[in-house]
Amino acid sequence: MDPYYVALTTITLASIYGLLALGISIIWSSLGMINMAQGFTFALSGYGAWLVSQYIGTNGVVVVAGGVLTGALAGALVGGIAFIPLYDKPNFPLRSLIATLAIAMLGSQSLLYWFGPRVKALPKVFGVGSIHIGSAVASYDKIGTIVCSAALLLITLAWMKRSRRGLEIRAMMQNPEGAALVGVGLRSTAMSVMMMTGAMTGLAAVLLSQNFFVSPFAGTMPLVKGMVVALAGGLGSVAGALIAALLIGLIEAMTAVELGGQYVLITQFAFIIAVLLVRPRGIAGMIEHTRE
Amino acid sequence: MSTGQQSTPATPEIGLVGRSRLLPPLRAHGDRTWRRWRVPFTQRGALDYITAFNPISLVAERRIVDKRLLWWLAALLVLVIVPPLFGNDSFIGAGTTFAMFSAINIVWMLTIGTAGIFSLATLAVVGVGAYGTAYLSVYWGFPWWAMWIAGPFFGAGFGVLIALPAIRLEGFYYALLTVGVAELCRVWVVQSRTLGAANNGLYGADGFVPADMSTTGGITLGYFLALAMMVAALALYTYVNGQRLGRLLRAAPEKHEAFAEALGINYRAARIQVFLISSAALGFVGAFYATLLHGASPSLFTMDQLLLLLAMIVIGGIGTTEGAVAGTLIVVLLDKVFIGLGPLRLVLIGAIMLGTVLFLRGGIFGVAAQFKNWTAKRRSERRAVSRGKGGIVMPEEATEIHDKQNIAIGLFQLRLRGELKALVNDALIEEHRTTPRSRRSDNLERVLNYFRMAPMAEKYGVLMVKPFAEYRIVAISGRRGVPPRAVDDQMFTTPEDADHGVFLKRVQDLMES
Repeated sequence: MDPYYVALTTITLASIYGLLALGISIIWSSLGMINMAQGFTFALSGYGAWLVSQYIGTNGVVVVAGGVLTGALAGALVGGIAFIPLYDKPNFPLRSLIATLAIAMLGSQSLLYWFGPRVKALPKVFGVGSIHIGSAVASYDKIGTIVCSAALLLITLAWMKRSRRGLEIRAMMQNPEGAALVGVGLRSTAMSVMMMTGAMTGLAAVLLSQNFFVSPFAGTMPLVKGMVVALAGGLGSVAGALIAALLIGLIEAMTAVELGGQYVLITQFAFIIAVLLVRPRGIAGMIEHTRE
Repeated sequence: MSTGQQSTPATPEIGLVGRSRLLPPLRAHGDRTWRRWRVPFTQRGALDYITAFNPISLVAERRIVDKRLLWWLAALLVLVIVPPLFGNDSFIGAGTTFAMFSAINIVWMLTIGTAGIFSLATLAVVGVGAYGTAYLSVYWGFPWWAMWIAGPFFGAGFGVLIALPAIRLEGFYYALLTVGVAELCRVWVVQSRTLGAANNGLYGADGFVPADMSTTGGITLGYFLALAMMVAALALYTYVNGQRLGRLLRAAPEKHEAFAEALGINYRAARIQVFLISSAALGFVGAFYATLLHGASPSLFTMDQLLLLLAMIVIGGIGTTEGAVAGTLIVVLLDKVFIGLGPLRLVLIGAIMLGTVLFLRGGIFGVAAQFKNWTAKRRSERRAVSRGKGGIVMPEEATEIHDKQNIAIGLFQLRLRGELKALVNDALIEEHRTTPRSRRSDNLERVLNYFRMAPMAEKYGVLMVKPFAEYRIVAISGRRGVPPRAVDDQMFTTPEDADHGVFLKRVQDLMES
């Protein structure tokens, strides 16, 4: 086993999982909604980036921007359909969960109808080539993935820490009713949360599509992985999601090296079930009462 | 999640006082007014009826309170007769799919409705049953009846696995975990060579259709068996939901576990029991699936199939068996009738599901209750707007009023004022001025009677300052020893004029009220 290779793979996976899990985690803690349409956002952003690369330009920055923008738009769409009409209605958590599931179904089938079942390939936005780190070979893909997602994560976290909107989001995460009482607009804040997490998912889609293809059902696996990480980290905790992303990335890399690729999901689930049985709210999950 | 509380089928029956007259009476024998037989193993009769002697004719009459059983029987009769008689092979095949998915949904209702646990691994349990029994048949040569026996064991075994986290985890954590478990199973069967990774499913299992049967005969046999399975699922649901276990579970929904525990309910044991029961039943459905299609396919574990299943119960309404069956019927019909549309039909189903969840609280079977609620709300809003605040006492104020009769009196006075206001006009006032000592018209007498009825405090009176020269209007204090106070500076020269002045003031007060 090559420690450099494992470390590199771990960090690459962790950065993508971190993007996906943070989206799910932030939406849950601020909106009180489980966004099962994240997979649809993922697939739609992939197609957005593909359309941009087909009709506008194959420059890496343009393609990434296309994916991120499509993701933000898809996030706003999901928020507009599943959160805005439902958030003050009875039984909101369950109904919004079902609504996002319905959007996931509707969306992936629409994509299948518009674009057909054939998969699309995105251009290599980071170019082709590799550099050596220790004894491991780091392709430009991996370096680009790590740099891009780390940059977006840092920007997001700084924005949530510094800006007024970020303050509003954090207020809403702590207590939505209290936030509304002191003048935080729940709808506008929710829409900005949805757009922000949509942008994160869009970036993850572009980055992951460097190695995989864009297809209508490409979102299921990232959704499941993102949820696994968010669950293990604890819904609503940024730090927990990042720690869990690292741990799960490490487990995936180790399993792929030691046992073989087909056992990855099994070891991940064994890990998450073990974590949840010891700590039912994940590594650093919020206490439910805080959210309510 | 509060599914369990909000959408359980047991909508409280509002007393029969106002409704019983709407129920058609049936003749009953006088000796047999009480229920003579019960559904086996339960404490209740099949049909919920009330029996009473008609006070006029003295005939024993029986009124059916809950007609759902009759509707079910009629629907099942249609299902038994119509597809085999009038449908072609593919229609009967769609009927088999419908009956099978109905059975799955009815059993799922036990966990998602009765226990209130949002488990999304239902289809995965069916898949495990199907794959397990297909494996036994393909590699160990099990016949179809042995597969049916083995199915529940596979289901129950897998059920224990997914029930264990359900004790610790709450709501969303569990829902997400079950989605992940289904995806894990899908990846496993897609990659495993023994489970038929090469030819997209594990095929070659034994089937229940005898070899010498015609194609149509085989399909019809499958349909009737699936229908029987659906009825069995209904019986299981009724038995579990209506008896002790169902009551324990409904008493301990999500977020109320601590309360239930304080009542002495062992909700953990109850949840494991319901998981075991429903998983065993789902395992049997899986075995049936494997014997029907001679194998199992990975599509059982896909997210899309799960969403289709969820669409069925959401459209019908979570928490009721009739909702589960009706939703299944709608989705299967759309899925099979519009098969030429390709992916668009799933888009259509998704749109219906989205519309249902956005606008309806309890699926299509909750529409009636929701509409009734809505009209009642609109009516009360209109009432509040039209009457103003006047004599209306809000419920929270009513607790403060000691003598509740005052509430009714206030309401009566409010209506009376409304009627009297309509009577007051210039002609009436002129009549009062011109006829001080003579007979008045009916309308004027009504108005005057209302004025005379006013309480003594702050009642207007006429004070004689100088006889036959100076009169003025005062307001009586209503307390002994406290003199009346002057209302204004206006002087009248005759008592008749002063009387009319008092009348004008009262009319003004009336019109302003």
